Amino acid sequence: MKKRVLSLVLAACMVVPTVACTGSDAANPGDGNQPGQVAVDEMPDTDAVAAAVESGEIVDGKFVETRHITVEVYDRGNDGGTDPTNNMYTDYIKQGMLDTYNVEVEFVAVPRWTEVDELNNLLAAGTAPDICVTYDYATIQQYAKMGGVLDLSDLVADNASLTPNLWSWLGVTNMYWDKDPSDGTLWAIEGKRAVTNRINTFIRKDWLDQLGLDVPTTTDEFEACLVAFRDNADTLLGSEANMMIPYSVSYDVGWRAATLIESYIDPEISDFDYYVNGFDDRKLTVPGTKEAVRKLNAWYNDGLMWNDFAMYSNGETVEDDYMKAGYVGAFSHNWDYPFRNGDDSINASLKRTVGEDACFIAIDPFQDKNGGHTKFVTSSAGDRKIFFPDSNDEPLASLLYLEWISDPAHIQYLQLGDEGVTHNVLEDGSYEIIAATGDPIQNSGFNIDYTITCNGLNLADPDKTVLSIAHSYAGIDPAIVKEANKIANTDARHEKNVNVGVIEAEDGMGTALAEKRDILYDMAVSCAVADFDATWDKYMEDYLSSGGQDIIDERTEKWNATFGDSKMLPED
Amino acid sequence: MEENKIINNPEQTPQASSKMKIQLTKENKMKDKKWVVYLSRYWQLYALLFLPILYLIIFKYLPMVYVQIAFKDYKFRESVWALPFTKNYGFGHFIKAFKNADFRYAIRNTVVLNLLDLVVGFPAPIIFALILNELKLPKFKKVVQTVAYMPHFLSWIIVASLALQLFAPSTGLVNVAVKALGGEPIPFLNEPTHWVVTYILIGIWQSFGWNSIVYLAAIAGINQELYEAASVDGAGRFRKMWHITLPGIKPTIVVLLVMALGNILGSSFDRPFAFQNNTVMNVSNVISTFVYSYGIKGLKFELSTAVGLFQSVVGVIFLLLANNISRRLGERGIW
Repeated sequence: MKKRVLSLVLAACMVVPTVACTGSDAANPGDGNQPGQVAVDEMPDTDAVAAAVESGEIVDGKFVETRHITVEVYDRGNDGGTDPTNNMYTDYIKQGMLDTYNVEVEFVAVPRWTEVDELNNLLAAGTAPDICVTYDYATIQQYAKMGGVLDLSDLVADNASLTPNLWSWLGVTNMYWDKDPSDGTLWAIEGKRAVTNRINTFIRKDWLDQLGLDVPTTTDEFEACLVAFRDNADTLLGSEANMMIPYSVSYDVGWRAATLIESYIDPEISDFDYYVNGFDDRKLTVPGTKEAVRKLNAWYNDGLMWNDFAMYSNGETVEDDYMKAGYVGAFSHNWDYPFRNGDDSINASLKRTVGEDACFIAIDPFQDKNGGHTKFVTSSAGDRKIFFPDSNDEPLASLLYLEWISDPAHIQYLQLGDEGVTHNVLEDGSYEIIAATGDPIQNSGFNIDYTITCNGLNLADPDKTVLSIAHSYAGIDPAIVKEANKIANTDARHEKNVNVGVIEAEDGMGTALAEKRDILYDMAVSCAVADFDATWDKYMEDYLSSGGQDIIDERTEKWNATFGDSKMLPED
Repeated sequence: MEENKIINNPEQTPQASSKMKIQLTKENKMKDKKWVVYLSRYWQLYALLFLPILYLIIFKYLPMVYVQIAFKDYKFRESVWALPFTKNYGFGHFIKAFKNADFRYAIRNTVVLNLLDLVVGFPAPIIFALILNELKLPKFKKVVQTVAYMPHFLSWIIVASLALQLFAPSTGLVNVAVKALGGEPIPFLNEPTHWVVTYILIGIWQSFGWNSIVYLAAIAGINQELYEAASVDGAGRFRKMWHITLPGIKPTIVVLLVMALGNILGSSFDRPFAFQNNTVMNVSNVISTFVYSYGIKGLKFELSTAVGLFQSVVGVIFLLLANNISRRLGERGIW
């Protein structure tokens, strides 16, 4: 019944913003990573004259008639933020696009933490923005199959002469990352990750000092710290001792305990094993993960973890609020998580509510079997994807928008803002971000929601970028950020692009399997120690029989067909 | 229809039946005229009816065109009529749904939760209405009534958030109190059995006041003389309730029961969706939330439609059955 579907969609529309408007950084930008296809094409001929120029549609690089396009922008609902569709940065873009190309730009807000659901609704209704951005390639593929997405292959190749910045910034790799090796279709362009850091573990430095503990460097030392936090709750929290959470995770254990989980994985895992178990980036079926979760289960039952972690779903701020209120001793999350959001950051809030020296610092306690600290990080692609729905009547104007937004000067202005307002220039020439209020506030760090082809700080001068990252978190000691950046890069193993064609079994399974994966993690962490094996096996059986095994089998089969017996990708 | 019956009746002679036929035709003509007369006399009323009917056609009937995608392979931009039927003579999506273990669990959970709601929740507003009816102080009665209605106006999202604040395992107010008194925290929301009980009871709390309105209205319609006569005969309060009030609202109870049974496989979306969490998914995932997470979020529109259609068909069958039974039991039913 369409009626029922419709009413569900409507219900979802009502539910979704309610949850989303309280959204914090609880979700993860790495969600839904999938190795795409290796770029097969060479850079197109940039000297060729674009058809639009020949036909006189564009004169002197400008449309003769004013065009109008709509562009998706994430709404993060952050405290004190501005309207993401209308502020000084959007004005800058709108004016720039009008002056450069005679194109009017209108922004459409999509809640960040429920972007996939929201985008689904917009696409299904045929009202999606002309330029859509998502982290979820499966959604794009699904709509492409239904005829709802434009094929970009000819568009980007034919207009290469009009889009030099886009091509030089993204390169052939990111432009053609998702190009289908068999039929040559291109449904999306991969934005570029400027920083490939993924996850860090954080601990309350002031608590360590207060209890006379050293910064933990092994898993056992880390556990000892958690025990000390639990046993000294009265000292650390006084009358609020019952709120003590030594180690905190959310329902998304695969992300939020990733550093621990990855330390249980063989650091020399073959590309083959990594790929066939790599449907999503939460490592559920990778050998070693089960033992890591057993550890978490032991911690949970020893009172070392947050009891209620599975009660709250995506976008709820309860856990963040506990961190800000000072109840949480340690946690793992995005490598810069406690530094994000200026005055509203976890560390800044701690400073205000708990005391001057209260702060989280990044640590690297979890050792793999070789004694290293392997972290499985991403490549520069496989991040945000840009696509045009087939309701887009202005593909060329939309492409030129991508060109404009990839111009290094425009990226730099959007990321840094005005001197004295959102940044200061330091003696060494690097930039320091200062917390802005009112209109100049950046709703996302470095305005990454506007620089859709660039995720993370990227200045025209790469040396200054590195220096500036440490200074880029308003109100946070640069030394702490520098250390976090260093730890996030320690023993980092970058993801490789595996090109074996489309895996049919993955079709539309993303959300269903992600839910099952989270349930498995949650149940396995929170069950009784004696029930751990039974619980793990029961839910794993369910996960595999619900499509997980089919994906592993098809990936294995296609790997074997492409690379034969070799368990490693050929070296370039 | 009527004419045919008469003609086929062997006891009628052909002449008699033709006479009657003429008479009937005349009557029919008069009926036609009456129709026109009614329309011209009460056209304002019919005009008022026009908008609601238009609403029903546009929002309830036209969308049904898309019911057919349950049997087809859906393509975004093509006309639904032109789409090819899917495999297994168009029943591929139904087969796929029933092969899905989560869907079978969802059916089980839907039926179990709805039955529990019915068994525990259905009598609550009746009992409440009966009690309320016995209250003598009008002001007190009004206050109690209003307080009982209130939760109905809270959305399930708010109710679920309240529940989380009250019943969360370590920080919920109730469990904080339990712990302070030296007890073990009660897993209201994170253990399947406890969750079901919590879910059902909160549901009753939210709706019993509102649902009692219908019964109170029915009670108000009972002839007061019956009570007076019973009092004269020496009947006490409970006798009167049993022999006058309850029989007086029996038709209302039956109609509502029939409607509740028709909805046994139906499920609201927001209530289970707001209450469920990962630790109780095996009892809290009902058909509507399954359709949302597996079908809509997974972009399987055909499957969602197939499941919705199945749900509606079963709902109609239950409705007809319940209605039939109630009529056999001598009640009016709903039509």
